[in-house]
Amino acid sequence: MDRLERFVKGMGQYVDDIKVDKPLYMAVVRSPYARTKINGVKGGLNSSDLEAALASVGEGAGGASANPAAHPIFAKGYANYVGQPIAAVFSEDRYGAEDALESVDVDYEPLKPVVSPEEAIGFEPIHKGMKSNVISDKMLGKDFEPKADIVLEDRLENHRIATNAIETRGILADYSNGRLTIHVSTQSVFSIKRGLCGTLGLPEDKVRVIQADTGGGFGLKGGLQPEHVIAAFAAMKYKRPVKWIETRLEHLMAANQGRGAIGKMKLYAKRSGKILGIKGTIIVDAGAYAEGLAGFAPGFIAHQLTEQYAIENGYVRALSVLTNKAPYGPYRGAGRPEAAFFMERMVDMLADELKMDDAEIRLLNASEKPFTSPFGMHIDASKPFMQKALKALGYESMKKRNAGIGFFVLVPGAAPGEGVRLEVKDGKMHVWLGSNQHGQGHDFFIRSLAREELGLSPDEIAIEVPDTDNIKAGIGTWGSRSAMVGGSALVDAARHIKEEIKKKHGKYSKKLLLSSNYDYSEFYKFDGEINSFGANLATAKLGPVNDPEVLEVRACYDVGRALSKAMVKAQIEGGIIQGTGQVMGEAVAYDENGQLLTSSISNAGVLRSTKAPKCVVKIMENPSTLPDKAKGLGEAPTIGTPLAIVRSLEHITGKRIRSTPVKPQDLS
Amino acid sequence: MKEAKPKIKINGKDYSATVEPRQLLVHFIRDSAGLTGTHIGCDTSNCGACTVLLDGKPVKSCTVLSVQADGHEITTIEGLSKDGSMDPMQKAFIEDNGLQCGFCTPGMIMEANYVLKKNPHATEAEIRKGLDGNLCRCTGYVGILKAIRSVQEKKK
Ligand code: FES
Ligand code: FES
Repeated sequence: MDRLERFVKGMGQYVDDIKVDKPLYMAVVRSPYARTKINGVKGGLNSSDLEAALASVGEGAGGASANPAAHPIFAKGYANYVGQPIAAVFSEDRYGAEDALESVDVDYEPLKPVVSPEEAIGFEPIHKGMKSNVISDKMLGKDFEPKADIVLEDRLENHRIATNAIETRGILADYSNGRLTIHVSTQSVFSIKRGLCGTLGLPEDKVRVIQADTGGGFGLKGGLQPEHVIAAFAAMKYKRPVKWIETRLEHLMAANQGRGAIGKMKLYAKRSGKILGIKGTIIVDAGAYAEGLAGFAPGFIAHQLTEQYAIENGYVRALSVLTNKAPYGPYRGAGRPEAAFFMERMVDMLADELKMDDAEIRLLNASEKPFTSPFGMHIDASKPFMQKALKALGYESMKKRNAGIGFFVLVPGAAPGEGVRLEVKDGKMHVWLGSNQHGQGHDFFIRSLAREELGLSPDEIAIEVPDTDNIKAGIGTWGSRSAMVGGSALVDAARHIKEEIKKKHGKYSKKLLLSSNYDYSEFYKFDGEINSFGANLATAKLGPVNDPEVLEVRACYDVGRALSKAMVKAQIEGGIIQGTGQVMGEAVAYDENGQLLTSSISNAGVLRSTKAPKCVVKIMENPSTLPDKAKGLGEAPTIGTPLAIVRSLEHITGKRIRSTPVKPQDLS
Repeated sequence: MKEAKPKIKINGKDYSATVEPRQLLVHFIRDSAGLTGTHIGCDTSNCGACTVLLDGKPVKSCTVLSVQADGHEITTIEGLSKDGSMDPMQKAFIEDNGLQCGFCTPGMIMEANYVLKKNPHATEAEIRKGLDGNLCRCTGYVGILKAIRSVQEKKK
């Protein structure tokens, strides 16, 4: 049955739906303190049973072997954020597992935590073996002496956000015949497999990871987290299937959080409006442990800081700093929205200073030809796109309604490419893609590309579940990469098979394909740079108590080629609402003791239907050089939407907005 | 611990199980009756993923105890396509991109059908209001609203 039909009929197989014989339900004892010594743990499975640290896998991961800030699977000696796993308990049913939490005794000795990343720079190191809380610190660009008429400075911030997929994290680990089989809600079966093998020291052939239907990821589910390892370890230890389904509260306190970046920006310009250069400091709040993206993120933000502008000079310090909060991780956009927010906020500031029109100042600084930024980012000429987008968005007429606009560059995470396997047997082509779906609609582009390349109709294609036993090489889904390199891997493999048939039979036909047996796998390599442009426009209004309401968000993105127009549109609409949420209230809040103040998905700010603005989507198609001609898309709306909304609110209120989410006091 | 033995009719079929008195209806539906189309997305009755009909009216089944549903009738998402064919709302959700990851979808469809049943002429604002307790992280509600509107149109 088709995937969507299964879902609307309630026949999805999300990880909690998978039935196994006599599973053990797992619950996790978590630190109630943001920073504490642990003088002893009695009961449950704890660090005396398993002493290991998380292998760094997934988006932006680097080598983590000797990392003193690597995340321990179970806290030992001390814990560093509210929600950090200390022990795990197991029971025959979920209620019993919750009850068993009481059976674990932990002797805490609370310490003074550090919550603000700016403070953390000079605070005593929260980990032994480190000289400071700074886990990465680099300079990008070159210092310069600007001869500027105008120097503008500001401190800008995007607060932390919980990814909040409606399906929380979950895993079902089964151990039999010396082999571990993992069903997991994930963006990458390969990350989970490599991570489990790396963390537990298991040989690759002893672990099989199968993707369960996955109810949204938004960045979080690209990597491995301690609970995955605990469940796998427990399954091996108890020789029983172990199931762990995260509660929403656990999600808010212990799942990686995104955004959480500060930009201290300095912009140099001429009176004409021409921007001469930027300097600044980017600080990313890494949370308590240096995982995956944490060290990489600030440099990535700095890399794209000049966005679509031909700004010749740039010199930026990029820092990632540990604090006593849940670890940092990607959230849809993962650095891109932060960079665009920091840049476009400064451009708006300059527009206000010079009393110039928002579009005019942007066009003045646009690149007229391909441009390499002082931080090494390559872009095409942005001006033609920007001019077209302003028209498509109806800027001139919407201006009268206090519309805000914002532009950005989408730098996708397409490297190093993607894996694919095509198997033709029994009159069908079975497709495994390394980048798996959890709401992006891979089905749509797989079908349209298979029709285009091989003439296959949907019922001649079987889209298979990512399973490391069936597809050996692949990456996963994040960074707007799936249509780009997943699609291109499929096209490349399809063309390979077509050639084989031509060689053998002198011609290609669908019949020849489907009547034969093929099993072809490849890893389509890509390490080029295909960046794309996007623009948003938004209108808003203020309610009776200065409560902002977003009326309409318009989007215009260059998607290269829309492999399925309907799905592209639907992806953009969903992203617009997430971008709107970031401005309207999405945040995970901590008090000065590092205690979590956010206690539900509602007060984390996930937008409800009554708060969702009208969306208008314009798609532009300037084909990329990839085999399927696509460009990045998935993250575009979370980058552009906040830019336009905050600008609209500024036009309405005359108040400068420096951070997301916007609070009522920012507007009065 | 004390035990209870609620008898609950789900999608026209009687189910009964020995459960703890604290068991939530959503767990009776999922674990005792084995109908996993009804999902759990939160622990604060905010998300609506667990929405089912209790005697014809939508409830968040994570806010009801199984024993409270004893002797009552429940309709879950599985009850909408009994002979295997989809009901109009299920079809419209597929046609109008009313779902992406699909996790909110069962609750959303249960609520959507009720909104139209209660008020066949509901305006867009009224439909949005009706869905206010059902969160979707993927679609931005755009495809969902379109699907509901198209079912409404066809019924006219
Ligand atoms: S699970 Fe019932 S409202 Fe969220
Ligand atoms: S479709 Fe994913 S939460 Fe609604």
